[in-house]
Amino acid sequence: MRGVVLATLLSLMAASPAAADPATLTEGQVLRGRFVQERHLQGFSQPLRSEGDFVLVPGKGLIWRAEIPFPVTTVVTPAGLVQSVAGQETTRLPAARLPFLSRLYAMMGGAMAGDWSALDGEFTVARRQDGKTLRVTLSPRRNGDPAAAALKEIDAQVGRFVEAVDLVKPGGDFDHLVFSGQALTTGAPTDAEAAALAAAGK
Amino acid sequence: MSRALALVWLLVVLAACVHVGVVTSRGLPLQTDLMALLPREDRDPVLQRAKDAAAEAIAQRVVILVGDEQREAARAAASSIRDALANAGLLLPGGDVPGADAVKRLGAAYFPHRAGLISEADRRRLLDGQGESLVARALSQVFGFAGMADGRLLARDPFLLFPAFLADLPVPASRLSLDEGWPSVTEDGRTWVLVTGRLAEKSTALAFQKRFTAVLDGAVAAAERAEPGLRVLRLGALFYAQAGAEQAMADSAIVGLVSLAGTVVLLILAFRALTPLVLGVAAIGVGAVTALSACLLLFGELHVAAQLFGASLIGIAVDYALLYFGQMFSPRAEPRARLRHVLAGITLGMATTVVGYATLALSPFPGLHQVAVFSGVGLVGSFLTVVLWFPLLDRTPSAPLGALRRRLAEGLWAFWFERRFRRARAVALLLAVGIGAAGFARVGVDDDVRHQQALSPPLVAQQAEIQRLAGFGQTGQFFVIEGAGDQQALRREEALGDRLAPLVAKGALAGWQSPARFVPSQARQDENRRLVAERLTAPHLAELRARLGMDGPAPEAGAQAAPLTLAEVSGTGALPLLSALVPETEPANGRALHIVTLDGLKDAALVRSAADGLEGVRFVDPTGDLTRLLGAYRHRAVTLLALSALLMVPLLAWRYGLAGALVAMAPPVAAVVLAPAVLALFGLPFTFFAAMALVLVLSIGVDYAVFCAEDDGRRDPVTLAAVLLAMGTTVLSFGLMAASGVAGVRSFGAAMAVGVPLAFLLAPLGGYARPRKGRW
Repeated sequence: MRGVVLATLLSLMAASPAAADPATLTEGQVLRGRFVQERHLQGFSQPLRSEGDFVLVPGKGLIWRAEIPFPVTTVVTPAGLVQSVAGQETTRLPAARLPFLSRLYAMMGGAMAGDWSALDGEFTVARRQDGKTLRVTLSPRRNGDPAAAALKEIDAQVGRFVEAVDLVKPGGDFDHLVFSGQALTTGAPTDAEAAALAAAGK
Repeated sequence: MSRALALVWLLVVLAACVHVGVVTSRGLPLQTDLMALLPREDRDPVLQRAKDAAAEAIAQRVVILVGDEQREAARAAASSIRDALANAGLLLPGGDVPGADAVKRLGAAYFPHRAGLISEADRRRLLDGQGESLVARALSQVFGFAGMADGRLLARDPFLLFPAFLADLPVPASRLSLDEGWPSVTEDGRTWVLVTGRLAEKSTALAFQKRFTAVLDGAVAAAERAEPGLRVLRLGALFYAQAGAEQAMADSAIVGLVSLAGTVVLLILAFRALTPLVLGVAAIGVGAVTALSACLLLFGELHVAAQLFGASLIGIAVDYALLYFGQMFSPRAEPRARLRHVLAGITLGMATTVVGYATLALSPFPGLHQVAVFSGVGLVGSFLTVVLWFPLLDRTPSAPLGALRRRLAEGLWAFWFERRFRRARAVALLLAVGIGAAGFARVGVDDDVRHQQALSPPLVAQQAEIQRLAGFGQTGQFFVIEGAGDQQALRREEALGDRLAPLVAKGALAGWQSPARFVPSQARQDENRRLVAERLTAPHLAELRARLGMDGPAPEAGAQAAPLTLAEVSGTGALPLLSALVPETEPANGRALHIVTLDGLKDAALVRSAADGLEGVRFVDPTGDLTRLLGAYRHRAVTLLALSALLMVPLLAWRYGLAGALVAMAPPVAAVVLAPAVLALFGLPFTFFAAMALVLVLSIGVDYAVFCAEDDGRRDPVTLAAVLLAMGTTVLSFGLMAASGVAGVRSFGAAMAVGVPLAFLLAPLGGYARPRKGRW
């Protein structure tokens, strides 16, 4: 499930060939931005809202730092997923235990180069141009895969970058993510970012 | 008179032939299980049953890992291989990896009891008063990237303790996870898919091994044709057994053929006649048939190893035939005169050897009893054949002894008896003492049973790769837990677990699987419930609910469900592993027997000591036990060797006087002592098998020395030439085993290859003993 979310996000952020003026992310570039995540859970009257920033380094991984209301950093690399709170590791999931995650990593390469056909194998991809915005809807293709079955649908709005994503789960829970302040720079990640990715990639 | 005796013997032999023939026609009751050779640990039937259950669980599994760079190709190949094995009826239906449905049933069984189920790490944190860290974990899972928070789960399990418990279940193959129904792992761009199952028949059955590997090889070959980059790794007792049997057969076929051909050529070259060869074979054949008949009468069955070993011992009997036919090269042309001349020697030789073998019957090992009877009876049978039949069948004329053999024999006599070789003799003796001292300084023993078997190196490499890829690290050692009931057994496992956890942190082992980790004892469940209530719910729940913005009443914390039982979880069928860990549950005599298996054992001594002082907990190391047993066998064999040497002395003393007996014993004893020293100089360790070879060296050496003593000072080259020939055939038939790939056989062969020639070289010393007048 985490793999689906992750890979989909990454590949959507990467590029969308049909968009008016899509940013194409390549190695040697870094994408930074801020996010607001609203998690709508059954039985909760209010969504769980969190915000923070993220750093995406193609080929290296993703650093996702929630600051409000609870500071927690998630680093995702080809080696897996690591969460830490105040420098203390709280969760570590090696990719070897999640074949689905590693598989989506492979597909990411294709998606970055604008090749959506690899994703086609796992998802039904529907695209709809809505003014300047491209709306992409992904539905898991197979019912048998427990990982894919954990998601019902992914909806994304893509402009120059991915602007918003909805992750809908079968039980009715859904996450709504809004991205802002995205900036694409050329060059290496900062030392701190590189260190965080390296520590998670161990 | 002698004709009448020969006829009686013929009737006995015919009767034995008929007996063996009748039994064989019904199927020879051959025992092939190696374990049957070992004394059962009947002192402890509980331990034995637990061992059998654990060994069975391990031996009946096969693991096949199919890897390819294309995920789909790996899955297709795994599927075709599994189907091929299943369709041929080679695997039990059901497999042993739970499917998605079984996992769901498991979750459903656990969930109502979740209040008492927490992971070991979480429990540790609560005990250490670190409840906040669990709050932080829950918050990070809710607010972190790609959180797994589920609204309904959070309402019931706000600290998300239940997912942590499930993730902590000690399933083997810890690196594999289910990928669309197949346990898989991806590494370096290659997807590995697991095919596993339990064998439909015993992994030790040769025919089943053949069928299984044939079907598997066929399926793998087909899959490889479809996908050339495919890699297939195998792990299982069946594969080792099959490879071992194949090698042993190829081995013994080659060794047997070379040794047979060599012996035939040697005998024909030596005698330039067929009669000695034919009659020699007849002597051994009669010995084998009478021995087999006697064993079947006595034991009702025969162990194949006892038969093989016993048959080799009977092989000594060919020496009597050779000594008899050595007389061809003497002026004695009349068969009776030839027999008369060697009768004392071969009689004494036979008697001492039978005494030597009889000591084998004094050991507590059932296998050695059979060897003792088989070889003792066979030897007497061969002896009687030589004595009673040879004079009647022998038509060979006298012939001159070959010049080379004559010179060799005369030279060896001269070396030990003539004055001019006095210095050389002193040097030789000093040399022998020097070699003995140097050798004994480095003699090492090796009882490790793993060294005695020839484990196929490619299989060992595949096992290592599977263990690394899949995280299968199960070792052969395990704990056996006994309890007055399941609850007591579970509590004992928890006490053991409290000691094993720090050892995991230290790296002494990678992990362990106990029934208690799947289903904690009721006491532990109550304690967990209390820990959560006191150290988590009471101080932190309100705060967590506030931070998550959860309103409404908190759900009643513990859902006071009855504690979870073993039966409930086993009943889901989702955990075949758990069933294997519980060979005897409560209803059996009101007593429970559980097993705790170990992963990645590095420091066996440290882990073994974890059981110290824990009642009902025992560490079991089957390989180590076998190794200790081989060590005991080795000690026993050396003791028997000394004992049989002692028992031979009175026989020899009757003939040669006490001093003469000691003289006659000196060459074989020296050979027996020197052989391991020489082997040590070549870096070969002393093993049980080498000790058994020395038993043979002693008997053969005494024969040689007796033959020389019976020469009665004539220094007849004919005598020594016959002994030379006997040594040649013995080295050909036993010494060649030194070339075997099976370490135990090799050790046996090497000891023979060194010991028997030593006994021959020293044998003329026996000539210093002289028969006392009036005996015969």
